[in-house]
Amino acid sequence: MTDRRFFVILFVAVGLLSLLPLGLGVYHLHVMIVSLFYVMMASSWNLLAGYTGQVSFAHAAFAGIGAYTSGILAAKFGLNPWIGVFIGTILAALIGLGMGILCLRMGGIYLSLTTLGFSEILRIVITNEYEITRGTMGLQVPGLVADYSKPAYFYIMLGGAMLTLIVLYKLIYSDIGLNFRAVQNDERAAASLGVDVVRMRVLAFTVSSALAGMAGGLYGHYLLLITPEIPSLDQQFLVLSMTVIGGMGSFLGPIIGAISLEIFSEYIRAYGEYHVLVFGLVALVVARFAPNGLMGLAEHRLRGRRKASRTVSAAAG
Amino acid sequence: MTLLEGRGLSKRFGGVTALDQVSFSVEEGTIVALIGPNGAGKTTLFNLVAGALKPDAGQILFAGEEITGLTANVTCRRGLARTFQVTRPFATMTCLENVAVAVVNSPRSRANGTWRLSAHECLKAVGLGDLAHIEARHLNVVQKKRLEIARALATRPKLLMLDEVLGGLNTQEIGQAVDFIRSLRDEHHLTVFWIEHVMGAIMQAAEKIIVLDQGRRLMEGSPEEVVKDSRVIQAYLGD
Amino acid sequence: MFALAGMNGLVIGAIYALAALGVSLVVGIMNVINFAHGELYILAGYFSYLFANAFGMNFALAMTLAVALVFLFGLLIEYTLIRPTYGNDMYSLILTFILSIVLQNAYLLIFGPYPNKPPNWVGGSTLILGSFYYGNQRLAALIAGSAVITLVFLVIKKTWFGRIIRATSQDREMAELNGVNTKRLNMLSFGLGCALAAAAGVILAPIFPVTPTAGVPVALTAFVVVVLGGMGSLWGCVIGGLIIGLVENFGAAYISTAYKQVFSFIILILVLLSRPSGLFGRREA
Ligand SMILES: Nc1ncnc2c1ncn2[C@@H]1O[C@H](COP(=O)(O)OP(=O)(O)OP(=O)(O)O)[C@@H](O)[C@H]1O
Ligand SMILES: [Mg+2]
Repeated sequence: MTDRRFFVILFVAVGLLSLLPLGLGVYHLHVMIVSLFYVMMASSWNLLAGYTGQVSFAHAAFAGIGAYTSGILAAKFGLNPWIGVFIGTILAALIGLGMGILCLRMGGIYLSLTTLGFSEILRIVITNEYEITRGTMGLQVPGLVADYSKPAYFYIMLGGAMLTLIVLYKLIYSDIGLNFRAVQNDERAAASLGVDVVRMRVLAFTVSSALAGMAGGLYGHYLLLITPEIPSLDQQFLVLSMTVIGGMGSFLGPIIGAISLEIFSEYIRAYGEYHVLVFGLVALVVARFAPNGLMGLAEHRLRGRRKASRTVSAAAG
Repeated sequence: MTLLEGRGLSKRFGGVTALDQVSFSVEEGTIVALIGPNGAGKTTLFNLVAGALKPDAGQILFAGEEITGLTANVTCRRGLARTFQVTRPFATMTCLENVAVAVVNSPRSRANGTWRLSAHECLKAVGLGDLAHIEARHLNVVQKKRLEIARALATRPKLLMLDEVLGGLNTQEIGQAVDFIRSLRDEHHLTVFWIEHVMGAIMQAAEKIIVLDQGRRLMEGSPEEVVKDSRVIQAYLGD
Repeated sequence: MFALAGMNGLVIGAIYALAALGVSLVVGIMNVINFAHGELYILAGYFSYLFANAFGMNFALAMTLAVALVFLFGLLIEYTLIRPTYGNDMYSLILTFILSIVLQNAYLLIFGPYPNKPPNWVGGSTLILGSFYYGNQRLAALIAGSAVITLVFLVIKKTWFGRIIRATSQDREMAELNGVNTKRLNMLSFGLGCALAAAAGVILAPIFPVTPTAGVPVALTAFVVVVLGGMGSLWGCVIGGLIIGLVENFGAAYISTAYKQVFSFIILILVLLSRPSGLFGRREA
């Protein structure tokens, strides 16, 4: 994909989406806002899993870091929420950097273990430091705009998603992105060609964590109530499933996965709280039988058809 | 002048002593072959030199500086490139992208022109020009070996270390490959350190041969000296 | 208080060691981490609860049956999820993580969020060192845990199967060249790893009743133990398990109960900072 094509597609899509508030009611707009949050989360998690082959189980935790940082600064110290979101993003990046340096010398498994532990610890700290975080009751925080309105938040989240996707695109389709993919394919071969494997992994983890922090910060100020639900493992699992089902390692996959699964989960919510279980089973089947997700399947069919038409024309000619 | 020098290199894997006090040198601008029976420790020696493994004892000097224990990416940036005996292509990337990885990380090849051009040249040099946009997993074994060489060349090395790149070629192709490797040395002023089982090619190309057997350096000398040496004959035939 | 915390640390430590042995065995041989380890531990707890309470089975029989079933379940997991993605570490991480969440939610659906407790094996308590009374059930758990650990060591150090396991975790390719059927070995060791989680589960369930998510902290601690002891090292699991068990309980007794888990995480960070290959880890580049 060339730069121009990417930006044309992005701006057309964003332009079309901007029209949604004209036609959608409050509830549907809410679903779209949540979808955009998951687009940010799944796409940035994909940078790590899909392009460097590392699995972090703390992506939701980093969203929680962003949300609680900004929320606490705004609720307790009256800081402007926008500045809070910025600080939350930076904090997520710094923690990601520290954790990355600590684990990634030793390889990907250590990152997975440590991030899982970190998620659990964060949950414990948030529930126990009731004075600061209001525990499971949730922390009430001010909004990002003076007059709360769904369309305004829709545009804010749309802007956030756009920023996230541009950052990811620029990174993935640069020399660094090339190195990421080399590391994912074969780290020994990558190292033999001069790639600093550890640095690449730490970089991917830091950027991905920072983007999660930003998404969480924005989302928290939309919900107005920040609970330990944001950094929970269930949330982490949703993000992971969306990416896996949409297609890891493809740019479009997590976007499609996030939007379709969020809409789907709203739909089945009517039948009780089974959506985690249903997602889990679907994700299990997809990860096992179609490791490249929906995008992988689509590509496969497209290629098959193209090949078929080529043989046909060859036979005709 | 000596480009690469090993002093008393040793490496053990659990109970197996893969290398035992091996010393050797590779002179700048020459083609030096490393031969020996299966399991002699040749690939292990390459791994130590390239920084893929750390030696248990000994020193490695490259271009006059000690490089013992440096990691693989650092030795590569210093000008040392290697191919893998069991090829390691980036399977889901195109051939061009495979080579581009080497180009973008080389401090020497960025200077001139965009990387795509330079990567393409390297592919063409090994005869993979037409397959530039094919994913590497679709290549056959011989093509994968060529891709290894293209990637190594794309790092713009001073020293090229080849680990059994002639496997699967017929006599005529071997001749062409030997000519190609010679031309690299002559035209690009490369130094070549070459592990190979195909003795005919070695006899044609190498100025010096180092023989390893069971982790020890058996001897070192000109091709003529090596084929006449009774110890070498015994190492290969006797058992 | 000191002696009590120490005693608790020993009991819990032994169980952590047991759970960690299961993780370590699988890491050593397959280089795979089973993130559903904790849920299998819980599954065994539920089974033993079900068999003993609902079906009225003898507790020992219920426990044995529970471990056997989890072992079979482990074989099934290996066959359906791990084997097809073997060699791609990332997918095995993702698949077992998804499995863990699926199991948690399935438990919630079937058993509800409330704790379930299989019957105690023994009642009453014993005076320890003439200074405090300690529950007999906990003492029994310590003895049972130590017995299973000893059994695992005997199998691995003394039997033909153990030799194959050790050879394979040393050098997989060599083992394959020497005719080890690594497919079957993988399946068996994965099942065994799950069975060890199950053993820990049935031993601890009467003391810490099972809930759908109670497996998460146990699995996490087991992972920390494995890193602390050194990936793939069996002695590391035992020593590491005891260290973590003691640290947690002294920490809970003297610093804070709520932050019990946090102590083991701090240990994890310290290990990664100072000796990332763990206490007994191989230090190969
Ligand atoms: N990573 C490793 N772990 C354990 N043992 C190893 C490792 N690499 C090599 N060995 C052992 O070291 C010895 C030397 O192996 P090496 O691959 O260096 O031989 P070689 O001379 O390259 O043989 P070949 O001609 O078959 O390629 C062999 O016994 C081999 O089994
Ligand atoms: Mg070799």
